[in-house]
Amino acid sequence: MKRTTLLSAGTLLASMMASGAFADTICGANTGEAATGAPIKVGGIHGNAAPGDFSSSTTAANAYFDCVNANGGINGRPIQYLVENDQWNPELAAQAAAKLLKDENVVAIVGNGSFVEMAVNAPTYKEQNIMAMASACAVSECFESSNIVSTNQGPLSSTVGAAQYMVEELAAQSIVCIGLAIPNVGNWSCGAMEEYMTSKGLTGASVLLNPASPDVNSSLLEAVASGSDTILVNLPAGLAIAFMKAAEEQGMVDSYKWASSTPLYDQSVPSAVGSAWDGKMYINAELTPWDKGGPDATNWLAVLDAHAPDAPRDTFSQSGFLSAKFFVDTLLKMDPAQLDDRAAVTTAIKAISGYTSDLMCGPYYVGEADRHMPNHAGTMVVVKNGGFETVRDCYEYDSPYFAPIFENEKALGLR
Amino acid sequence: MRAVLISIGIWGALCLALALLVAWGKPAPVIGMFVVSGMAVGSLYALGGIGLVVLYRATGVLNLASGAVGMASAMVAWQLVQWGIFALVSWILGLALGVLLAVAYCRVITPYMAWREPVVKAVASLGFALVILGTVSFLWPDDPRRFELPTDKAFVTILGLRVTATRLMVVAVSILAVIVISVVLVRTRIGLHMRALANDRRIASLIGIPVVRVETMAWAMAGLLSAFTGLMFANLVRLEPVVITFLIIPCIAAAIAGRLQSLPDVLIGGIAMGVIESLLTLSDPLKSIRPVAPFVIASVVLLVTNRGRRLTFAGED
Amino acid sequence: MKVTGLLAAFAVIAVIGLLPTILGGQWIGIFISTTCFAFAAMGAGFMYSRLGMVSLAQVALMGLGGWVTLRLNHATDLPFEVNLLGGAVATAVLGMLLALPALRMRGLYLALVTLMVAGGLEVVFTAFQFPNGGAGFWGVGTSFSAPMRRPTIAPDDANYLRYCLAVLVLGFLLIEAHRRSAPGRAWALIRRSEAAALASGVNVTFYKTWAFGLSGLLAGAGGGLLAASLGLLDAATFRASESVLLFALVIVGGARFWYGAILTAFLYRVAPGLLNTWGVDADLALVFFGAALLHAVMTAPDGIAGQINDLLGKVRKEQTRDRA
Repeated sequence: MKRTTLLSAGTLLASMMASGAFADTICGANTGEAATGAPIKVGGIHGNAAPGDFSSSTTAANAYFDCVNANGGINGRPIQYLVENDQWNPELAAQAAAKLLKDENVVAIVGNGSFVEMAVNAPTYKEQNIMAMASACAVSECFESSNIVSTNQGPLSSTVGAAQYMVEELAAQSIVCIGLAIPNVGNWSCGAMEEYMTSKGLTGASVLLNPASPDVNSSLLEAVASGSDTILVNLPAGLAIAFMKAAEEQGMVDSYKWASSTPLYDQSVPSAVGSAWDGKMYINAELTPWDKGGPDATNWLAVLDAHAPDAPRDTFSQSGFLSAKFFVDTLLKMDPAQLDDRAAVTTAIKAISGYTSDLMCGPYYVGEADRHMPNHAGTMVVVKNGGFETVRDCYEYDSPYFAPIFENEKALGLR
Repeated sequence: MRAVLISIGIWGALCLALALLVAWGKPAPVIGMFVVSGMAVGSLYALGGIGLVVLYRATGVLNLASGAVGMASAMVAWQLVQWGIFALVSWILGLALGVLLAVAYCRVITPYMAWREPVVKAVASLGFALVILGTVSFLWPDDPRRFELPTDKAFVTILGLRVTATRLMVVAVSILAVIVISVVLVRTRIGLHMRALANDRRIASLIGIPVVRVETMAWAMAGLLSAFTGLMFANLVRLEPVVITFLIIPCIAAAIAGRLQSLPDVLIGGIAMGVIESLLTLSDPLKSIRPVAPFVIASVVLLVTNRGRRLTFAGED
Repeated sequence: MKVTGLLAAFAVIAVIGLLPTILGGQWIGIFISTTCFAFAAMGAGFMYSRLGMVSLAQVALMGLGGWVTLRLNHATDLPFEVNLLGGAVATAVLGMLLALPALRMRGLYLALVTLMVAGGLEVVFTAFQFPNGGAGFWGVGTSFSAPMRRPTIAPDDANYLRYCLAVLVLGFLLIEAHRRSAPGRAWALIRRSEAAALASGVNVTFYKTWAFGLSGLLAGAGGGLLAASLGLLDAATFRASESVLLFALVIVGGARFWYGAILTAFLYRVAPGLLNTWGVDADLALVFFGAALLHAVMTAPDGIAGQINDLLGKVRKEQTRDRA
C-alpha cells in the first residue's frame, strides 16, 4: 500500500481544525499557521503484507509531519512525506529506495520499519550519502551500518535487556533463548545473549526455530533438555504465543522463569496469552511504556488523535513519532538555504548528539560511525490483570556487544 | 487390513531406524517424548492430507486452496467467539463457511476447467487460495491471536508428555474420516459415482451419473474436512493466515505418502513424517532444517512407488 | 524470413538500448526483476509446451542459482560472468538430477516431485539464508554483508538492465537453437509418443534429462542475475508457493508462444508493480491477482499469448481478404 502524502487543501483544512480541537499538540515551530512554501521531500519505507504489518512507524511519522506542516513547517516549507511498502520483498525494497532516492530525490529517509529493507538498502544509503532515521528495525544490518540509525532497539538489545533483568532481579542462573533460525535475526540476537551470560559467569543456550515448522513442541523439548531455569522467548508475537501455548499445555508455566523481548509488548497480547501467564511473563519494552506519561508521550498521543485517529498506539508508533520529531528538530536548526541539499541534511543528522525524550530511556545521538545503536536502555514489564505492569524502570543494558557503541558515546562526550 | 498392517510395519521400521541413528545414546524417556510430540504434529499433516486425497479421488482435483479455506473458517470462528457469540455456534458457522467456499468454487469455477489436465486444475486452485488469503489479510489487521477450544484443558500423559484432548481429537477424527470415507467410496452408490467421475468425467456423465450433484457433494465433504483441519491448525499450530494457508504444502507430502489414493497410508505416512521430523531435533546438524523431512520422505515414496516403471507413455497419467 | 529476422533483431536492440533511458529508478528495478524471472518462466514454459512436463520448482531453482553465484562471488575473485555461469551450471546439474524421477513419471506426479523439491529448498534457504561473505560452507555472517560484484561493463542499474536483457536474448536464442535442431525434433516425438520415439531410435532418457538441464540452466542464470541486482538474496523470494504461482502464470501467459515467457514475467513482477504504483492495497492486489489467474485459466486455453496470436491471425486474414 502506498500512501503518498501530498498537502492538499482538504487535509490542510482538516488538520488546522484538528489542531484547534486538540490544542495540546506541539509540533515543530508550533506557529499554528499552515506551511505553504515549496515542499521538502522526505521518504519512508515500511513492510506491510501477509506475514506482518510494520506500518505503524511510518503512520506515526506521517501524523507528526502533518502536524508540523499545520504549524509553520520547516521555516514555512511543508514536509512532503513519501511512504513506500516493501511487502517483505527484497526486490520491492530496492525498488522503493530507487524511487525515493533517484526518482523523487528525497533528502532523508525517516520512520522505516521492516525486516528486509535495511539489509537490502544499507549499501545504497551509504553510496548515495543519505541518512535513514529508522524506527522499527529487526535485523543486524540495521544496527551495523554507517547510514542507518534506528530509534528502536531491535531483538539483540531487547533480548540482552530481558536476560539482564532475569539475572539481576530474579536470580536466573541459566537462560535458554528461543529465536528464529535466521542468521541476521535469531542467531545474531540469541548469540549476543549467550555472550552476555558467559560474561557474567552464567550459562546461556539457544534454541533456533525454523519459521516454516508447524511444530513448536520439539523446540520446547529442546529448551527443556538444555537444563536452563529461565526461558527467554525472542520470537515474533504470533510464533511466541504458539510457543507459550505449547508450554502451557505441558504445564511448564510455573516450573520455569519466563521472559520475552519486545514483540510481546503489544496491547492484544495479555488477552491472547490468557490468564495462566498473569504475573509470569516478563517482557522488555524498547521504549517507555505507553501509559508512562511525560511531555513527549502526551504529545505523541495528541498528535495521533489529531492526525491519525485510527492508528495503533504501539512501540513502533512511538518510535516513528520520535524519529520524525528528532528529524524535524534537526531541520529547524539547519541553515534554511541548505534544506534541499541531501549532503547537508546528512551531515546535520550525523551531528545529532544528546537529544533526549521521555519516550526513550537514554539519549539519542547519531555520530559518524560504522554502527549505530543509540537506544540500549529499556523498561521491564510483566503481564498483569489483562494489561502490563512496570517492574523495573529505565535501566541500561550491559553486554560485551555494546563495547564499540560505548566507545562512540565516549567520543561524543555522552559517557 | 493386511495392507494397512504392512504400511504400519514399513513406516514404523523407518521411524525406528531413524530413532536409532540420531538418538543413539540419548535416554529413552527423551526419545519417547519426541516420538509422542512428533505423532501430534504428524496427525495434523495426516488430517490435511486426508482432505486432499478425498477430493482428489472423488473429482480428480488436487485442491491447493484447501489450506486457505480452512484458514478462513478458523478466522471467522475466532472472530465470532471474540464478538461473544456462543462458542459452539461460532465453530459450526466456521465449518459452514468452509463448506460454502468449497461448494462455491465447485459450482462457479470448476465447470470451466473440467477439460484441463490435473496439474492445471491443481495450479489454478492456487488462484482461489490467493483470493481468500488476500481478503482475510485485508479484513483482519495483523494481530497476535489465539484460538482456544475447551478440549485444550484436559490431557493425558503419554511417555512423559502431556497430550491434550484436542490432539487426541485430531487423531480420532483422522481415523474416523479414513474409515467412514473409505466405506462411502467403496460401498455406497454415491461413492461409486464419485470414483467413476474421477476416472473419466465425460464417460461418467454419458452413462447418466448426476455429475453436478455428485461433484457438489464431494466438494462439500472436502470443504468440511478443510474447515475442520483449519480450526485444528489454528488451535495447535497458530492462528496466522499465511501459515495455515501454506501448511497445505507439507500436507501434500502426506497425501503423496498414500500415493493420492490410499487413505490409511496417508494417515500412517503423515504420522510417521511428523515423528521423523520431531526425531531430527535430536540431530545437531539437521535440527534447523527438520521441516524438510516430509518433502524428502514424499520424494522417496514417489520414486519407490514408481520404480517398476521404466518409461511412461503419453496419455498415461 | 530474412527480413523479419532482421526486423526482430533491430527491435530487440532498440528495446535494450532505449528501455533503460526512458524508465525511472524504480521502474528500472522492476524491469530487472522481471527479466530475471523471465528466465525461470522461459524454462518452465518450454518444458511444458515441448514435453508436457510440469516443473513446480522453477523459482526454487533460481534460488539455488543465486546461492551458488553468491557463494562463488564471496569465495573467489572471479569476474561476475564466471560466477553466473557457475550458478547456472550447478542449477542445471540439479535439474538433471530432477529428471531422474521424470523418466518414470508424468503429469501430476511429476509436478508433485518438483513441488517437494521446492518445499525442501524453501526450508533449507530459510534456515541457512544466502551467502553474504561470512565464513564456512554456508558463508553467512550475522553481522555484516560483503558487496556482490556486478559485471564490470554494467555497474549502474540502467546498464545492468541492458545486460540482463542481453543475457535473456541469449537464453531465447539457446532455446530456439534447440527447437530447430535434433533435440527439438526428439522432444516433438517424445511429446507425441514415447513409444514411437523409442522405436525410431531417439534416446528418450538423454533428451528428457537434457530438457531438465536446460530449464535448470535458465533458472539458475535468472537467480544469479537477481542476486547481483540486489547484492543479496532473501529466502522469502523463493518460497514453494512462489514456484507454483510462477507456473500458474506460465499457463496464463501462454507457454506455446515465445513471448509467453515475457508475458508471464510481466504478470509476475510488472503487474504487482503497477498495482503498487496506483496505490492499491497489497492485500487487495493479491485478491485481484488470484481472481485474474482463475479467470485466465478458465477462459484462455492458450493463455494471453494465445489470444494475441488469434488476434494477429484475424488481422492477417482480413488483410489478405482485402488484398483479394
